[in-house]
Amino acid sequence: MSTLRLGWRWAALRNGFLDATAYRVEFLIEVLGQAVVPVITQLVLWYAVFKLGGATEMAGLSYSDLILYTLTSILFSQIRGGDHDFELAEMIRTGTLSNYLLRPAGAVEFVYIRGSAPKLFLAGVCLVVGMIVGAIFGGIHPERMPAAMLMAFIGNIIHYQISAAIASIAFYWEEAYSVLMVKNLFVSLLSGELIHLGIFPEKWKWVWESFPFYLYVFGPVQYALGKWTHVEFFRALALSLVWLAVGWALVRISWGIGTRRYLSLGG
Amino acid sequence: MKNYPSVAAATGPGSRIALYWNVFKVNVKNNFVREAVYRTNFITTVIVDLVWIAVQFSLFTVIYANVESLGGWTKHQVFFFLGFFFASDALFSTFFARNFWQFSDLVNKGELDILLTKPVHPLFLSLTRFISMTAWFNVLLGIGVMIRYAEPAGFEGGWRWLTLIPWLAFGTLAALMLRFAFSVWIFWTDRSFAIARLYFAFFTLADKPDPIFPIVVRAFLMTALPFAFIGSVPARALLQGLELREYALITGVMVFFFFFNRHFWRKGMARYQSASS
Amino acid sequence: MEPVIVAQDIRRSFRSSKKEEGKNSTWKYLLKPEWVEHHALKGVSFSIEPGAFVGLIGANGAGKTTLLKIFSGLIPPSSGTARVLDQEPFKRSLDFRKQISLVMGQKAQLWWDLPAVDAFDLLRAIYEIPEKTYRDRLGMLAELLDVQKLLNTQIRRLSLGERMKMELIGALLHWPKVVFLDEPTIGLDVLAAQKLREFLREFNRREKATIILTSHNMDDITRLCSRVLILRSGEMLYDGSPQKLTREGEKRLRVRLQEQPTLEQLAATTQIPIERITFPKPEDADAGDEGEGTLPAAYLTVNSQTLMPTLQAILAKYTPIDLGIEEQGLENVIKRLFQEEASGITKRP
Repeated sequence: MSTLRLGWRWAALRNGFLDATAYRVEFLIEVLGQAVVPVITQLVLWYAVFKLGGATEMAGLSYSDLILYTLTSILFSQIRGGDHDFELAEMIRTGTLSNYLLRPAGAVEFVYIRGSAPKLFLAGVCLVVGMIVGAIFGGIHPERMPAAMLMAFIGNIIHYQISAAIASIAFYWEEAYSVLMVKNLFVSLLSGELIHLGIFPEKWKWVWESFPFYLYVFGPVQYALGKWTHVEFFRALALSLVWLAVGWALVRISWGIGTRRYLSLGG
Repeated sequence: MKNYPSVAAATGPGSRIALYWNVFKVNVKNNFVREAVYRTNFITTVIVDLVWIAVQFSLFTVIYANVESLGGWTKHQVFFFLGFFFASDALFSTFFARNFWQFSDLVNKGELDILLTKPVHPLFLSLTRFISMTAWFNVLLGIGVMIRYAEPAGFEGGWRWLTLIPWLAFGTLAALMLRFAFSVWIFWTDRSFAIARLYFAFFTLADKPDPIFPIVVRAFLMTALPFAFIGSVPARALLQGLELREYALITGVMVFFFFFNRHFWRKGMARYQSASS
Repeated sequence: MEPVIVAQDIRRSFRSSKKEEGKNSTWKYLLKPEWVEHHALKGVSFSIEPGAFVGLIGANGAGKTTLLKIFSGLIPPSSGTARVLDQEPFKRSLDFRKQISLVMGQKAQLWWDLPAVDAFDLLRAIYEIPEKTYRDRLGMLAELLDVQKLLNTQIRRLSLGERMKMELIGALLHWPKVVFLDEPTIGLDVLAAQKLREFLREFNRREKATIILTSHNMDDITRLCSRVLILRSGEMLYDGSPQKLTREGEKRLRVRLQEQPTLEQLAATTQIPIERITFPKPEDADAGDEGEGTLPAAYLTVNSQTLMPTLQAILAKYTPIDLGIEEQGLENVIKRLFQEEASGITKRP
């Protein structure tokens, strides 16, 4: 029984990977769009602030600190799983969810596994690249990379869980995607993807600390760069496990109620 | 039996412009009907944009806490720019954003087959289908932000506010040209969303004033990928005025993009027609 | 009368790139694509008079939809000429587009998130139908199809049959002279399909619009069309009336026999080739022979010469419980036509 249940997960992973790589050029374009362009945007911004604006430091961070942070953040943001949440909302809206309800696989989990397959591969590449770069040029601590990547991965799952819970709004309201867009804006800011979280004034710190999103870009980067101690890291990791449980419950509840409603309305 | 009009009593008179205007009017009316169905849409549309503008404002507030000016732009000038960009983007959202979300349906779902048999250009039909009444509110919000920061930003105001209208139209048109150039690939790949998404990646370069960028990036934003046309160039025109050669440049680039888009649309149509059975 | 649709040796082939799975396939696909040539239509000629109701039959991939796409101007023929309303369809002149209509059972032309009446309003604007005419037509069509009460319902909330009715209204509001219907009854239940058929016949009769219909449902064809065109792998197999196809003296002899002989035994007894005998499963059987108990009926294709000897041979050997002579169902004729063609037996006119 348990092998059987693992079976579909493995198949979904494989299927997702093949599906993404069947369109290689498009896959590369996506990677480019998701990684390179936002980073260029940030680098350009720091260039403007420090070289054109003449600043020497921002909130205690130097030009090179920020550049290093931005470049390292690429390694961890690659694991980010595309538009799974939008896909879930679309499935509910268009009724294709019905196909999934017949299968033994949970729709939420299935969509995640299939969609994250190519990202896991990318994360592996990033892990290796990070370790090599760190070993040669310094900055990144190579030995910290695996643990940091693990945290990024857990953080990404939490993000997905929260997104899936939000996507369940689509059971009640056709335009749920707009809520997901708001969420994405918040996440890009609160995860540290958009800018280094240290730039926020100290009095705002509680804002990003009360969400789990910093665990998936900011936290791993800080640890990999040696800005966090091991103790800080393990505290954050423990916290992320708590969030994981919370996320799991959120998905169970929201989808349980939503699916019941969906079925009662005749799919 | 009632006397029904025969086949011969075909269609009424009216010029092409009147026809397109009437189709547009019906689409506007239908979108009112649609939004009456999804009432809550209004609130989220506004909230999405408010959050966006809040994020931008806090980003620049934090930056300007550390520097006096960026590439010659003061904080208030950047806020004025953000107001314009916001209004221009909301205008695009009003008329086009949702239509482009569904653009790939033309090929993927074969909508083009039906649209091509209609006596109106298929692009017109597919790009005027959704009109967001609520995004209008955000246009006003953006203009409100501009008004708020006009004086500290050094905008002279008065009759110059009138030039806001053509510049907003220009910004929207530039976004339309760019978005189309990133969307026309539906004919070539069923993963066209990968390319369409690049638009949003580059879009993050559009929401900052172009003079803050290094010269190479800036050159790109003014020519090959003219994202600066959406907000930055018009805001600069309003605040400082443009040089004559800049007018020539933006005209040239827009004309180029028009022909670029037309060329690939036609190529795509030819491909569509030769590949289908 | 001038024909309204003319096809002269229409051929349509198209290339599709062969995209293989595996390494570097996309690069190869972009840089050096391999093309596979398909022939959807291999020289099709016919002409259609105004006001005709023509059925187009063929298996999947026979070229029916391709033909409709050529006539409605979506794609050009690779060679040969197509003329509709004395125009070249692919030019898609305004005048042409205003006079035709294409309905694809699988693709909606009405945007589903609106009530039907608003979607129709858009079509009114697109086709520049005067307000008064529009109201008259909509009233008439909605009455014929019995959907007046549903006009204000969001289309996506309608049943499949109701949706198709709305699609048809949308397709006819501009009073097209030529209507192409691709599988209009697909997915509909028997009753809904019948309603739709009645409507189409009525519309064709009243308005003298030329209608070409493709369908897998032979009921659609037999009840509506005065002429059928049968396509097989892009070639015209038959062009004529559906009656002619089935008649020619051929009948179906229905027997239920106590002994329940096998197909082979029956063939040996009656000297009728085995392909001309069928044991339809109960659910395929034509209407009118249910309720005869559980014994399966055998159907033998006979003509006036072979009828009597066959009957005698059967009676000599078996005990019939039920006997009957029926007209050939179009479905069977076509099934056989395809089989014969495939196995190289005589080609019919």
